[in-house]
Amino acid sequence: MLAKHRCDGKSRPFHLDEGSRMTIMSQWRAALIVSSFIGMAVPAAAQDGMRVTVTGEISDTWCTISGLMFAKGTAHHQCAIWCALGGIPVSIRDAKGNLYLILKIGDDDDSASNPRVARMATHEVSVDGELLERDGVKYLLVDRIADDKGVITMTHEEYGIQPFGN
Amino acid sequence: MKALSTIRLALMIFTVSSATSSLAAEAWNIPHEKAVVLKGRVVDALCQLKGRCAPDCGSGKRQLGLLLTDGTFRLVAKSNIDFAGSIPDLIGFCGKEIEADGLLIENPAITLFFVQGIRADAAGSFTPAERFKTDWEARNGKAEEWWRADPEANRIIAADGPLGIKGLAPKPKP
Repeated sequence: MLAKHRCDGKSRPFHLDEGSRMTIMSQWRAALIVSSFIGMAVPAAAQDGMRVTVTGEISDTWCTISGLMFAKGTAHHQCAIWCALGGIPVSIRDAKGNLYLILKIGDDDDSASNPRVARMATHEVSVDGELLERDGVKYLLVDRIADDKGVITMTHEEYGIQPFGN
Repeated sequence: MKALSTIRLALMIFTVSSATSSLAAEAWNIPHEKAVVLKGRVVDALCQLKGRCAPDCGSGKRQLGLLLTDGTFRLVAKSNIDFAGSIPDLIGFCGKEIEADGLLIENPAITLFFVQGIRADAAGSFTPAERFKTDWEARNGKAEEWWRADPEANRIIAADGPLGIKGLAPKPKP
């Protein structure tokens, strides 16, 4: 039986904690002070993207572009888990070979070493989200995973388990 | 004669200082790779692109990159450690300027940077980008191959199998 995983996380509107004693102004002041100390000021380059639906395989970005191994389907499932947990960016590779680098899924902003993402390694998925293109990279902010077919591309008989054979 | 010796000495000093302060990136013969030193500010990708920011660049849970002086944003995807990214090497420099020596890979599908060495001081030496292993071993103990010893990876593989399909096992080796 294929592993099924569905995420219906939807963006929630920003809201203030009503129980907080801080006023709106003091919250903003505190945020400004904090950001000035740790360099997290909102960048001027922040952009609005395009709404898209992307269908393809959850792929390890490094293995896919390095060409050092066969990076698809069952043969690459284990390696893709290792790379995802190692913090290498995870992408969706569509049928045309486009790579969409995932920066968030639903409200989960953890795009590095996220076990939830690692569990989807080499799954065939269809997602809805926002596409942002910048300096040669297609970044994808996934709102929801509309479909997850699990691993459907059988490559291990031809390629073995990549990259070591076990 | 004396002038020649002085020039020779100056050349030797230059050679030595160049060798210690500039780590030339090792070529991997990856299609579209180019050895470069990038100079820029360490930023969190989601914050940089969308203004969705978190304290300390996401505390190691978000993808990071370098914002160069010309406004170009380079995602830093890989470190020297097998199967590992560069976030542990970069996170301590959140919001700070660094120099990163490595391979810029301008694949038509995606442009990524593979960092091999980092320095915050232009006059200093590059530190090899190998922090992932140090941090991993601090959490999990020594291992020859971190990836085979990683508890989370082993949990996922035990649950779904090495091929990602429950009940489907690779053929035994002859």
